[in-house]
Amino acid sequence: MKLDLVKFTEIIQGELITPSDEMENIAITGGYVSDLLSDVMGNAKDGQLWITIMRHLNVIAVASLAGIPAIVFARNLKPEAAIIDKAQQEGIALIVSPLTTFEISGLLYRELKLEPTS
Amino acid sequence: MRQWKCDLHIHSVLSPCGSLEMSPTAVIKRACEEKLDVIAITDHNTMANSSVFHRVAEKAGIFCFWGVEIQTMEEIHVIGLFDDEEKAMSFDRELYEALPPIPNDPDYFGDQVVVDDEENIVRCEEKALLNSVMWDLDQTLQSIDDHGGFGFPAHVNATTYSLISQLGFIPPNPLIKALGITAKCNDDEFLAAFPMAARYPLIRNSDAHYLKDIGSGFTVIDMEEPSIAELKRIYAANK
Repeated sequence: MKLDLVKFTEIIQGELITPSDEMENIAITGGYVSDLLSDVMGNAKDGQLWITIMRHLNVIAVASLAGIPAIVFARNLKPEAAIIDKAQQEGIALIVSPLTTFEISGLLYRELKLEPTS
Repeated sequence: MRQWKCDLHIHSVLSPCGSLEMSPTAVIKRACEEKLDVIAITDHNTMANSSVFHRVAEKAGIFCFWGVEIQTMEEIHVIGLFDDEEKAMSFDRELYEALPPIPNDPDYFGDQVVVDDEENIVRCEEKALLNSVMWDLDQTLQSIDDHGGFGFPAHVNATTYSLISQLGFIPPNPLIKALGITAKCNDDEFLAAFPMAARYPLIRNSDAHYLKDIGSGFTVIDMEEPSIAELKRIYAANK
């Protein structure tokens, strides 16, 4: 099950802050939620949508290393311009949503029609 | 130029997690036993005990920096050091404003005790000190520098509350001149795991919360005198 990122951005009342025509080509296959970048580096997987409230510039490098194509910043926490620029250079989509990480995760689960794994 | 044995990360009774035995006289006595020349009292997000420790240390022939262990918005611990009371207190006031007004629960976190030179309890700090201030890493380093201090990320090899645990790797920032490491850090293993850390001098400290741990980690620094100007000179030259 792949995610339609344009539709999902609407579902989470989000705003895409890295305008691009490539949104439809981004394939999201799962999700990862963490604010510790060392944890994301070690455990996030290629193709996952990353939901976080961490806004240091390092998020872009970590996403790039981990193969994360898009990041959702929860609670309307908008990253600074330098981070947006870097994301655009790296081709990583950034979305800001007013919802909490919990709510965004729940909606992502529903959209991906995932079942909890044991 | 001479060598100074420094332990620049020591908690006092003011840190909720610091033992109530960490009073000025007891801490300085232990520092003397460990033959430390220079120390810094670095409580969490406050320098309210720094001046008292500075005076008690001075009488014992030890230089004590005004210090603080700040927890940034990213939950990174950063040490800020000052050698001037006025500058330190000016920074401390801004820092206190940046700390959320959440009351401490002593039963859960521990007591936060401000003391005087005679070890009398002056007051207990009401705000919870074990919290993040509303400054990010860059703002924190910049503010320390703007107030005439010297800042460095604390215990970067630790798996919690460290630059590396929170940000994954060391971000390029010209204000990062040195990296703090824990008393037990194995330098070779650490540098093998994080080669980018080799670009920075390492400052080993005890992070003592108990008297027995004072001096368990230390760094011998070659400088003319213990001062912020000298720390800045030494650590700029090493880069």
